[in-house]
Amino acid sequence: MHRTLRHSLVVPLLAASAALALAACGSSGSAPAASSASGGTLVVDSTFDLKTADPARSYEFTGELLGHNVYEHATTFEGTDLTKPVPELTTFAFSPDNRTLTLTLNGEHKFADGTPVTVDDIVFSYQRVQGITGSPSFLLDGVTVAKVDEKSLTLTTTAPNLALPAVLANPSLGIVEKSLVVAHGGTTGTDDAAEAYLNTASAGSAAYQIDTLDVSSKIVLKRNPNYVGTAPTWDKIVIENVAPATQKLNVQSGTAQIALDISPDGTKGVDGGSTTVINGISGFTVYTFFAADAEHGKAASDPNFVAAVRHAIDYSKLLDIAGKGSVQPGGVVPVQFPGALTSDPTNSYDVAKAKELLARSTYAGEPISYLYASDVTVQGLRLELIAQSIQADLKAVGITLQLDPQPAATYYSTLRSNTVQAALSYWGPDFPDASNYLAFTPGQGVAKRANWTADSATGQQVAPLVAAAQAASADTRNAAYQDLQRTLNEVGPIVPLLQPAQSVVTTTTVSDVVPSPLWLLDLASIH
Amino acid sequence: MSDVLERPGRWTRRLAPRGERSPWRQPLAVLGAVVLVVWLLVAALAPLLAPFDPLEQSGDRLAAPGGAHLLGTDSLGRDVLSRVVFGSRLSIPVAVALVVGCLVVGAVLGALAGYLGGWVDEVVMRVADMVLAFPTIILAMVVAAALGPSLVNAVIAILLVNWPQYARVTRSLVLGAKTREYVVAGRLLGAGPWTSLRRDILPNVAAPVLVLATLDVGSAILVLSGLSFLGLGTVPPTPEWGSMVADGVQQFDAWWIGTSAGLAILSVVAAVNFVGDALRDALDPHTRSTVAGRAL
Repeated sequence: MHRTLRHSLVVPLLAASAALALAACGSSGSAPAASSASGGTLVVDSTFDLKTADPARSYEFTGELLGHNVYEHATTFEGTDLTKPVPELTTFAFSPDNRTLTLTLNGEHKFADGTPVTVDDIVFSYQRVQGITGSPSFLLDGVTVAKVDEKSLTLTTTAPNLALPAVLANPSLGIVEKSLVVAHGGTTGTDDAAEAYLNTASAGSAAYQIDTLDVSSKIVLKRNPNYVGTAPTWDKIVIENVAPATQKLNVQSGTAQIALDISPDGTKGVDGGSTTVINGISGFTVYTFFAADAEHGKAASDPNFVAAVRHAIDYSKLLDIAGKGSVQPGGVVPVQFPGALTSDPTNSYDVAKAKELLARSTYAGEPISYLYASDVTVQGLRLELIAQSIQADLKAVGITLQLDPQPAATYYSTLRSNTVQAALSYWGPDFPDASNYLAFTPGQGVAKRANWTADSATGQQVAPLVAAAQAASADTRNAAYQDLQRTLNEVGPIVPLLQPAQSVVTTTTVSDVVPSPLWLLDLASIH
Repeated sequence: MSDVLERPGRWTRRLAPRGERSPWRQPLAVLGAVVLVVWLLVAALAPLLAPFDPLEQSGDRLAAPGGAHLLGTDSLGRDVLSRVVFGSRLSIPVAVALVVGCLVVGAVLGALAGYLGGWVDEVVMRVADMVLAFPTIILAMVVAAALGPSLVNAVIAILLVNWPQYARVTRSLVLGAKTREYVVAGRLLGAGPWTSLRRDILPNVAAPVLVLATLDVGSAILVLSGLSFLGLGTVPPTPEWGSMVADGVQQFDAWWIGTSAGLAILSVVAAVNFVGDALRDALDPHTRSTVAGRAL
């Protein structure tokens, strides 16, 4: 929801037709596949949205890929398991009241220049993120960072925050080498001037370091000779900014070994031969909402109407459009996160039930204006297709959706005006924890778009469940968040629709490629 | 008066060299006319010709041409042939209506500017110059984006950017015609400005403007499709050629979506241009002679 979006390319009309005709005649590339001998160069194709390589300022997809692979973090996640953060630079332990998280150095880690990672580096890195007040600063809002001794530090919050270990794995919270950054103008305030340096070199301790970087075209990474973990297979990684259609050609011809942005439909027919498709589940939740207040929602604000919509949508059809790897979550929390609901009968396709509920509502066939972004894709999934599919589904039960497609340039401002009758939108996780989804509860960020207020009748119904989830202990919080999501489904105006697939196409010469919803790829584990 | 004075329109028509082949016997003109008639029939008989409801998700997504779906299916499983057929019902009539609208607005303003002169001429022509200073598609995009995507707004946008060319042509023709003897004679016989414009001038400037309009139908289809292609024209799920090409570009492997709609646009635009050329040759032999190098 907060990141730079990838827009469709605009090309002249007839030129596009001609190109399509040519594509019809063409076939996959026939260049020999690149060798993947250990120690060589791995080429990764991606569409860039990079603005900066400074982790304390970066909050874009490409920045996450870079942040995770160049900088180490206090904690991390292993493979596809996003339910449990594990130690990386530090081990962690909560105080009994869950208000203080103590981080203790986890063995010796070294920056690329051989300097050991110290507690001072960690404290400086966190305070720098807070002080710069850049895009990722909110991750550490309300957190007091303090050094305890040469081995440990504490993160203190006013209210219990059990999500903190998961937050610390965010690529933006990478640990930088204090002495190096300070020498290049780094501070823990808004006067920090180290961004220019961090755009040309890295000050991290992860498996790779920046060799050269051009934010708009190409990033070249080289090994960190002092990395203390298992040495990565590849000497050099080249990440290129390439349009999705070209990515497919590149990976088929072997020019690139990994393509990150081929759409779900584009991956069809690519699996097999010299290429492999790996379908993961993305961390995005695509959802739709109907304004909860009578002024903007009109007939759509009727809870029976929203309940009818929940049963009128053919979710399997949406998953077909979204491609292999996409799933329907039970609630707004992605299925791979702790506290997720894997399914909920409240959101299920049942036309008869939908018609019955619609008959009980005040809806009388009037058109419902439905806003969506016409040029936005989420993991290659075009939201306009989802909007049109929902329109067709609702038409089948007697609901008329009048589509209101708007380009991203105006879509977001319209959405944020909190005056739309209904809309299709999506949410990308800031960290893999159910508490990140409190934004969907009455009066919070996403619910505000639907004018769902905390003092409304349904808002008051949800409030105790929100409080219970926030106060829950480590043992009970997953169940508490699941209860909360069930209630959101029963009384709320927001309908979670699907999680798109995260498809990665690779040549068969590479292995152990694991797509991650948090940082796209862990380059060090690729062989 | 018309019985007494020869009108230049008739005079130039007689001047056409004898023995020339009629423009309508040129192969391209015939081809254009045939293609255009076929498309008009397709548009008129769309519900009978289309095998499926163009909005119905009648098959598997992105099914290749063949079987029940002769031109395959699109991203949502809708029949591409049916959508191309129904697309003609929108693109052709709207383009024609658009050109007629531009013609009426532009010709009236141009005629008034040319005939009345003075401040009317200055105001109309400076506004026209202002509009013409911008590339058509860019200005249409700005207007359509400001008004919001819809077919009506796209038509308004194109209307706003397209009338000046008619105004300019009409003005220059009226400027030339208003000093002719038969117009002056008409005025001396007591005709007012409106009567003079309508009865003496209009019939003699109509042919070049009509030729321009005919040739412009093709570009109107293109601009309209272009706006839809950019997401500023018709709103989904309406079948429209431009938005189908946009869908095809997104689904590069499903070549049949964009290619079918693109070829539909190509054939209609080419046909209209062929017919327009023939019409120009028929109504304006002077231009034809110039093109053939005989005017020298």
